[in-house]
Amino acid sequence: MALFDWHGELARDGHKVILSGQPVAMHCHHYNINLQKTVEETLGDEGIRLLFSSVEEASYYSFQQLLDRYQQIKSLKSKLEMAAILFQNCGLGVLHFNRVRPGGGNVVSPSSHHVTGWLAKHGKRDTPGCHFTRGWIAGALEAIYRRPLEFYTVEEKRCKMMRHELCEFQFKVA
Amino acid sequence: MAIDGTKIIHAVMEGSQIRESKGIIPLFGVYLSLFSVGYYNKLSFGFEQKLGKQREAEAEALLTRAAQECGYATFQGIRNSWEWEEIVDPMIDKKDDQITGFAAVAVAFGWGDIEVKEILPEEKLRIRVNDSYEASGYLERYGAAASGKCYMLRGVTAAFMDLIYGAQYPDGCFDFVAEEPLCRAKGDPFCEFVAGKPFYQYIA
Repeated sequence: MALFDWHGELARDGHKVILSGQPVAMHCHHYNINLQKTVEETLGDEGIRLLFSSVEEASYYSFQQLLDRYQQIKSLKSKLEMAAILFQNCGLGVLHFNRVRPGGGNVVSPSSHHVTGWLAKHGKRDTPGCHFTRGWIAGALEAIYRRPLEFYTVEEKRCKMMRHELCEFQFKVA
Repeated sequence: MAIDGTKIIHAVMEGSQIRESKGIIPLFGVYLSLFSVGYYNKLSFGFEQKLGKQREAEAEALLTRAAQECGYATFQGIRNSWEWEEIVDPMIDKKDDQITGFAAVAVAFGWGDIEVKEILPEEKLRIRVNDSYEASGYLERYGAAASGKCYMLRGVTAAFMDLIYGAQYPDGCFDFVAEEPLCRAKGDPFCEFVAGKPFYQYIA
């Protein structure tokens, strides 16, 4: 997608790493998975909601900035393509926005940073575990459809952390 | 030869633009991701808030421990990577130069302007950070803190010592502990982290 210059979005400002004008940190699967496990094990469902909302908020504001900057990207298809490029270029994995409508839809991920990291560190889970990706999808779609935060819920129907073939997410209006 | 941080930053920025077909960034022996510091701050400080005042010490210990375990595994992977061998190893003259190398990689990862101020072999490491994203994030969200808030950098400081002066990997994690006596979030001019042996080891 020529309209979206990924390489131009990633820069340094001294010791800071900047992505689309926002400070980012590079963290590896050890930290990301340790944080998830700590929060989930200590707080249970409340921790899962915290993980979701933390990613949702960050993804929402990043996307809003990007959409403001790339106003020439107008069609839904192009915006979703930009979302998939961003997810992949941040090392978060691959997302396919298969059937997406303003009222809900389906997103599939054949691979992700969190799945790879979780399986490498802890092996198979008994419950879906891609809370990060759920939150990321919610925030991105809320920004794309110009909706407020918490507008969408995202449920993970199948999860590679449970050794399903892929991760499948369904989103709908909360 | 001194550690050339610019060279390491360059290697990380170049390497972080390489993705495999699965959208994963394999660099310095680990899988890297790039994400907003706002996420890490909201998650860590939200966790602390949810545990509440009574469990504040537990939250602090859990977050620091998560970071120390991560730092231990991450920098073990990093120092065994081909990138380390090729770029950093030639700059290392003595054992504790590795710590300066670790700090340079952490700067390249966007964790702050980390500066190694003091190394006493086997005993103590003191690191200073003028612009920690954790301190900035706490101040922005909650205002002045009563205690240090840079749990990630605190855990990582201890992990550096674990790797260099602790028992052989993988048995050395938590051989050292770190404190954050100075933190910008509580009004100090910069954040400072001091790692040393746990008190009980001195008694033994």
